[in-house]
Amino acid sequence: MGENALTVGQVAKKKFLIALLAGFLAFGGIAAFFGLTTTAFALPLGGMGDFYVELEELKGEGFRLQPQVAETGSTDAAPMVRNMIDKVEIKGLTIYKDLKLPTGNWIRVNIKAPSASIQGLTQDAQFIDANLSLTDMSIEEKNTDDFTQNWTQNAGTITITDAKIVTDYLFQNFVSLNGAKISIESIDGPEVIE
Amino acid sequence: MSRKEKRMIKRQQKLQKRHEKLANASRFTLWRNSRPFWGATLTLLAGLMILYIPIHLFALAFTPGSYAILGILFGGLILLIGILAYFYPQLSTLFGVVTIFLSVLSIMGALGGFLIGTIVGIVGGSMLVGWSAETVTISTDDIDQKKKKKVEGDQSSTPASV
Repeated sequence: MGENALTVGQVAKKKFLIALLAGFLAFGGIAAFFGLTTTAFALPLGGMGDFYVELEELKGEGFRLQPQVAETGSTDAAPMVRNMIDKVEIKGLTIYKDLKLPTGNWIRVNIKAPSASIQGLTQDAQFIDANLSLTDMSIEEKNTDDFTQNWTQNAGTITITDAKIVTDYLFQNFVSLNGAKISIESIDGPEVIE
Repeated sequence: MSRKEKRMIKRQQKLQKRHEKLANASRFTLWRNSRPFWGATLTLLAGLMILYIPIHLFALAFTPGSYAILGILFGGLILLIGILAYFYPQLSTLFGVVTIFLSVLSIMGALGGFLIGTIVGIVGGSMLVGWSAETVTISTDDIDQKKKKKVEGDQSSTPASV
């Protein structure tokens, strides 16, 4: 008489459910923490075409500006500027995006925050309409084939007031929107800046 | 007979049934059965989903102070755990706990693969935690007898050719 031994693997229901519950509790906890403090780490906004950023006042430290060519909602390669600011404090921030519904109607999604603080901001902008004030400004030119390094503008601090910026890409290492409100409104058509 | 004993017998019967099923299974099915296959596969998928965002931010990931590098680190580790879970099934509980932990943390730096990666990672990690293997020994005579019975049953149910 012979014997046949086989390894039979299986998932124990009780252990699986306990681990699943613990995982989702931890997930809920961390999501609630970021939700309550309206804080996000490494938040990218992009790949959805143009969107608008309006602000009453922005104070930034460690400003760098360089040329950039990137994809937009309408072309594969559009000229724009890349703004990079290490530390930013904003008052009266509004970010909005116009979207066309399958029904043909247009809506505007607004994100409004009375104040916001950002660390490690990178923004690709096509159009900037604002009052700018810079300190310790320097413009550097380099004899290089890399167009992003060919020409750069740096400043110790930057103050922007009453700004309207057509943005195509936004990345923040750390962002905290205090008292943020998200709202949707119906509009007749999308905003176009020539 | 106490409830505990009844449960033990039921479990043994279940294991024996699976053993019988596996007795004639293909090599891949046997390989799959001896390790936490589905848990490892889901973990692998979660790793890929979590890596999606930081890989698209590759240019920014290596700038000083960028959190996107965390996303690459978390996603890469989850991917690695998924692969290792295929080859070291005895460590499945440890792999599962680490997968759940990293999947939840991946909200920072990778947005948890648009949160889907985090959810798939938690489910995959839980499957790794819950997985266990048992060696079942059955007399080959029993298997032969059952096979014989099955063949006889099949023959009696086959319609006779005209």
